[in-house]
Amino acid sequence: MILEVKNLQKVYGDKTVVNIEDLQIAAGETVGLVGNNGAGKTTFFRMLLDLIRPTNGEVLSKGENVMQNDNWKNYTASFLDEGFLIDYLTPEEYFIFIGSLHDLSVADVSAYLNQYGEFFNGEILNSGKYIRDFSKGNQNKVGIAAALMQKPEILILDEPFANLDPTTQIRLKKLLKEQTGNMTTFISSHDLNHVTDVCNRIILVEKGQVIKDFKTDENTLKELESYFSA
Amino acid sequence: MLSTFLSHQRKSFWRSRNKGGSIATQIIIGFFMLYFLVVAVGIGFGMTIFLPKIFPNQNVMTSFNGIILYYFAFDFLMRLQLQDIPTLSIIPYLHLKIPKRKIINFLNAKALFSAFNIWPFFLFFPFIFIEIWSVDGALVALMYIIAILSIMVFNNYFVLYLKRKSITNVLFTLVGLAIVGIFAALEYYKVISIMVASNYVFSEMADKPYLGLVFPVIASVIFILNSNYLRRNLYVEELGSKQEKKVSTDYAFLNRFGKAGELAALELKLILRHKRPRYSVFMGLFFLLYGYLFYKAPFIAADSFSKMIFAAIFMTGFSVLSYGQFMFAWQSSHFDGLLINKIDFKDYIKGKFLLFTIMCTITTILASFYGFLSPKLLLLHLAAYLYNIGFCTVLVLYLATFNYKRIDITRSASFNFQGMGATQWILMIPFILIPYLIYLPFGYLNRPYLGLMTIAFFGLIMLFMRGYWVNYIAKRLELQRYKIAEGFRE
Repeated sequence: MILEVKNLQKVYGDKTVVNIEDLQIAAGETVGLVGNNGAGKTTFFRMLLDLIRPTNGEVLSKGENVMQNDNWKNYTASFLDEGFLIDYLTPEEYFIFIGSLHDLSVADVSAYLNQYGEFFNGEILNSGKYIRDFSKGNQNKVGIAAALMQKPEILILDEPFANLDPTTQIRLKKLLKEQTGNMTTFISSHDLNHVTDVCNRIILVEKGQVIKDFKTDENTLKELESYFSA
Repeated sequence: MLSTFLSHQRKSFWRSRNKGGSIATQIIIGFFMLYFLVVAVGIGFGMTIFLPKIFPNQNVMTSFNGIILYYFAFDFLMRLQLQDIPTLSIIPYLHLKIPKRKIINFLNAKALFSAFNIWPFFLFFPFIFIEIWSVDGALVALMYIIAILSIMVFNNYFVLYLKRKSITNVLFTLVGLAIVGIFAALEYYKVISIMVASNYVFSEMADKPYLGLVFPVIASVIFILNSNYLRRNLYVEELGSKQEKKVSTDYAFLNRFGKAGELAALELKLILRHKRPRYSVFMGLFFLLYGYLFYKAPFIAADSFSKMIFAAIFMTGFSVLSYGQFMFAWQSSHFDGLLINKIDFKDYIKGKFLLFTIMCTITTILASFYGFLSPKLLLLHLAAYLYNIGFCTVLVLYLATFNYKRIDITRSASFNFQGMGATQWILMIPFILIPYLIYLPFGYLNRPYLGLMTIAFFGLIMLFMRGYWVNYIAKRLELQRYKIAEGFRE
């Protein structure tokens, strides 16, 4: 198991936002986290990434508690929100900075970015803008591309499809599907179509608890739709 | 309309998120203002008695005339540092059916609500009513009042104009600073005298009262200039629609410091690309003029460093202090990003130390022009420099781990109290007190140079312990990371 969640709880005041007893994710799985607003998805992701301290329990990444050491940062890449972007840099500067943290040279980074010409649709590179001047959708693209550039073993994305134009949504799905197998992906989404399309396992959460956890098949979308319309 | 704006302002103050902090700051500022007002009233009524005592060899009118421009020169410098640019976040109003003229009028009217515009009433008017009225008659007294109020208005809008301009243009700030510096130097070396000039101007006016009408004309000119500038920039500046091509840059000289160097380069870009941090670092250049106030020839001759050490430490360390007081919060918008990436806390702290050392070194080199006054001052600066990079940096970074207040760095630049908290006030106390405590015993024993050496030595020891401090602060940051990140997310 590459990721294990044990007895994880986050309590704010008298409200339990996340309460997950046991969750195991095997290497190579593509997991989709689905739930309405306030279900605790982002809080859960933040605990996976050691950004907030759990009230109880632990997150183990390759058997090591993420709170205790930083080894997980070597093989985990993520993009939750714009707070992860250093928005006063140009996209190039940002990619080079992230690359340097993983010992990638400037040449490595530009070679990598070349593959993403299509994904960026010619709007990101050499645009003469800082990241903060881009639209939300384009900021998302920068964050996702920077995460993928790290060649992570674990990829965590929070609502990657939000704010993207239809073409890019389809391209992103393609990218994520291509990477399956060698990478464990954990994404959350409100778009049931996309998430059932990309993921081979769906976890449905409500009020911080896992309600359903199942492998996707041809009936999954219907099941989810009926659950959410009820 | 004006009252609606005012009520919105009041609401935005009372309903702001960090209300506690801003009220505390307002109260402290209020106390200072009250104190100065009491002093001003005392001086104003006592002027007939004080003036002959301070300037025994000249007549009271000459002294009074002499101090007017002097006062306003200081007033100008003080305003330059302390006066707020009145901001009403105007964006929500711009698209509504409100004429621009009204918005500008509001901004202009609000600008007059400043303590600087109260003092002249208390300082000068008693003397005018008591002395001038009875000697020169009502017309001359009236002209004095008009002249003084006009200069006040002139200063008020001129400073705002300069501030508005200098935010958009760093060069402008540097030129202004140079001019003030040159005048200070000329006054210091007695080449020109503001007092003589002031006396000349006002005694002419007392002779020919109609000359006093020149002052309101000048004041109106600057008022109109300021309003026009506002009118033209009401959207350009605030909505940031000025589009220029942004380029990627690389600071090669920082690369040799490895990961810490890259983090320092990242922060250097942060400073250069945002108004508020840039302003707080460049404020350090203004404080380079402090030496003119504190480095008096008799002090230098007598080696009484205790009277000058404050200025030396303040000048060489001000940028570190003013930028460092909000440390980590500058990065609040992307602090999460720093945490999840492969960045070692030690490298992160080392990067900060590197940046501080660079800032301190630059200001110290710039301040070394005081060496022309006396080479002794260079020794003083060296001690202050070592104290700052050795101790002040550690202090600033240690206290930074207690700072959980988010700052939005894209917001207005000058005198913005967002993110102010107890930390900032606490910071000042040891920063000023410690060098005095070290120096004082040597000062009493009349061993000034030994005192300087001890301060320098203290700084050096702290500098050699930097490795230890890096580890210590990195540990603290690691402990505090959830709390800091949570505060910055709000």
